[in-house]
Amino acid sequence: MNKAMKNPTVFILFVLPAVMLFLMFFIYPIFSSLYFSFTSWNGVAKLDKIKYIGIDNFTKALGQDRFWVAVKNNAYFILFSVFLQVPVIVIFSLLIAHVKKLKGLYKTAIFLPSIMSTAVIGILWGFIYEPDIGLLNKILSFFGIGKIYWLSDNTYAMLSILITNAWQWTGYYIIMVLAAILSIPKELEEAAAIDGATAYQRATRIVLPLITPIISVVVMLSIAGAMKAADIVIVMTNGGPAGSTEVMATYMIRYAITSFKYGYGNSIAVLIFIFTLIVTLIYQLLVARRNERIEY
Amino acid sequence: MKKSLVLLLSLLLVTTTMLSACSGGSNTEKPAKTGEPAKQEEKADNSPFEVTLRHTQVGADKKNRLAILQDVVKKVQDETPGLTIKLDAVDSEVNRKEKLRGEMAAGNPPDIFDVFGSPDAQLYAKEGRMLDLTPILAELGLSDKFPNVLDPYTYEGKVYGLPIGASAEGFFYNKDYFAQKGLKVPNTFPELEELLVKIKADGKTPIAAASKEGWVPLMLTNQLWARYAGPDIVKRIAAGEAKWTDPNMVKAFAKHVEWEKKGYFKKGELGFAYGDITGQFTSGEAPLWFDGTWKSSVFKKGQSGEAMIGKVGFFNMPPVDGGTGEQTALMRDSNNGYGFSAAVADDPRKLDAVKKFIKELFNEDMQLRGLTEDGVLPSMTIPEDKLNSTVNDELMKDIIKVLNSTQGSFPAWDSQVDPDINTEFSAVQIQKLIGGQTTPEKMAGDLQKVTDEVLANKE
Repeated sequence: MNKAMKNPTVFILFVLPAVMLFLMFFIYPIFSSLYFSFTSWNGVAKLDKIKYIGIDNFTKALGQDRFWVAVKNNAYFILFSVFLQVPVIVIFSLLIAHVKKLKGLYKTAIFLPSIMSTAVIGILWGFIYEPDIGLLNKILSFFGIGKIYWLSDNTYAMLSILITNAWQWTGYYIIMVLAAILSIPKELEEAAAIDGATAYQRATRIVLPLITPIISVVVMLSIAGAMKAADIVIVMTNGGPAGSTEVMATYMIRYAITSFKYGYGNSIAVLIFIFTLIVTLIYQLLVARRNERIEY
Repeated sequence: MKKSLVLLLSLLLVTTTMLSACSGGSNTEKPAKTGEPAKQEEKADNSPFEVTLRHTQVGADKKNRLAILQDVVKKVQDETPGLTIKLDAVDSEVNRKEKLRGEMAAGNPPDIFDVFGSPDAQLYAKEGRMLDLTPILAELGLSDKFPNVLDPYTYEGKVYGLPIGASAEGFFYNKDYFAQKGLKVPNTFPELEELLVKIKADGKTPIAAASKEGWVPLMLTNQLWARYAGPDIVKRIAAGEAKWTDPNMVKAFAKHVEWEKKGYFKKGELGFAYGDITGQFTSGEAPLWFDGTWKSSVFKKGQSGEAMIGKVGFFNMPPVDGGTGEQTALMRDSNNGYGFSAAVADDPRKLDAVKKFIKELFNEDMQLRGLTEDGVLPSMTIPEDKLNSTVNDELMKDIIKVLNSTQGSFPAWDSQVDPDINTEFSAVQIQKLIGGQTTPEKMAGDLQKVTDEVLANKE
């Protein structure tokens, strides 16, 4: 068998189906997107009638204030998930890992939001944010705080979306981090405990360093998720009020796809791709590469 | 020996994978092949064939409309031996913005499909994807039956689609509340403003509002500027003959803002979706509601406004003193309808089925059914006596009375401007105006800037 695998023909034959699927569903769309991004295609015209317009689409997008508002909102998504969501994820994982009773219940409860559809979550949180009868305003009125128009006031709209988005995905990442924590050999912590380390010391000096690789993965996934966020924005505010919660993906839909500007839309898609690439690259260079490999 | 066996096996694996991957493709081509011999045979061909029909009658709100369509489909099938009409239901937004567009791009739309008039149908027609209906209309004697409603479906003088109905926009009002408080339907603009003051003083929100989607509040703004700056102002702006910064236009924007500031609209409106607006009116919270006549279907049996049947009236925006142009004009639109694939022309049997479909759907009976069962105004000419004898719904009578008493009409602003201007206005500017982040003058300037860019690009 090994001999057979060394034969390049056999090797290629085995790899071929996977490569073909990869070419069809990943490489081809990326290149066709790249091709259309240099055209003024309206999405309907026959392919032989498409006009090549150079980098006009890109200069147009980069020159639009509204596009930069969308980029800024994507940045908020990233900052919120990296600096607020990730610490919360780690703290909750540490807590759940060390509860003695009902661990299964906590795990299920915390994972529940991530299996719900975004549309359902949008409606659910729409009720919570409802100004007149919503849960949040009811609670706040208890403390004497007046009505806040969460989704219709641009001071709060983006924050409301970020909170909902965090609520949806936190559980998913907690399960990942939890798995990493639970895979740490028990002896390590026991030894530290015998040496007199407190629970806090064990968490920060032993567990945390050991789960850094998985946290790094969580951060990467959060960044990628933040760059392509769209559904949650569409169901909660649809980019409003007055475009203040627009992200790059919803910008693409609104300013390009619904206006029959597929060429322009593809250039936005390419820009999202490039921006994501840059952000993850920076993260890789600055943070991820520095992590040491851990071997037990 | 062993080596060649492995090679053989792996080759087998790859080929089976590839074959199974390709099998999907060959399946889809089959119907086309079976269709070919049918074309060659002459007359009296009763072999089975299929026509696909994409409609958007999804959900409880549209079940009356679906029933009408199903009856039409049944009639056409009975008349045509061998024909099966395959219904394909898709949500209207999904159909308009995604599915149909994808199919148009790929060049394989359904034979019959629900299509939005301007700019969608015109663009598809321009790209040669739609069937020219002009000769069919002439053949069926329908050419002059659609007065003033075919514009959205007309490209270079040819008709490519037929509107299922028409609609108009105006104020719905709560008759019970008006009677209780001794309020009257306003005949002049000062009377309307007085009415708003009184309702506000009574502790109610005068006008229902949900502005998460910008086109909803813009219905009212559109009506206001039609009074102040004239019904044809948008048409002139789109042609570069007038500007958004026209002083009368700014006056209309300022009026909207003034009403916002006086608290005449539901607070927090920017966070409410269009679906929420109905509840504000039916719950009695807001006694006035500016919307399209299509919403009259809410006040039918089994719908959310059932409790208000007979208690809702309709009036036109009163004339503005010193306004420009015809002061009774209201928005009348006919952008929802059916179009047909250009490919139908190549298959005589399909073409025949399409003709029958048009004949059965676009006639007086069906138009009247749409009006009485679904609250959709006719898009075809219906003799007035027939109209009056059929309609017994109070609200519908009100609406027809308003329509008969108006002199002019104008198409919705967003069907007349470039999508870029539409997006700028409805997704950004109007919400800024409502939220107090811009002024009428600044908004007019910003809109003009986008319009100038669009006009410059066209040149």
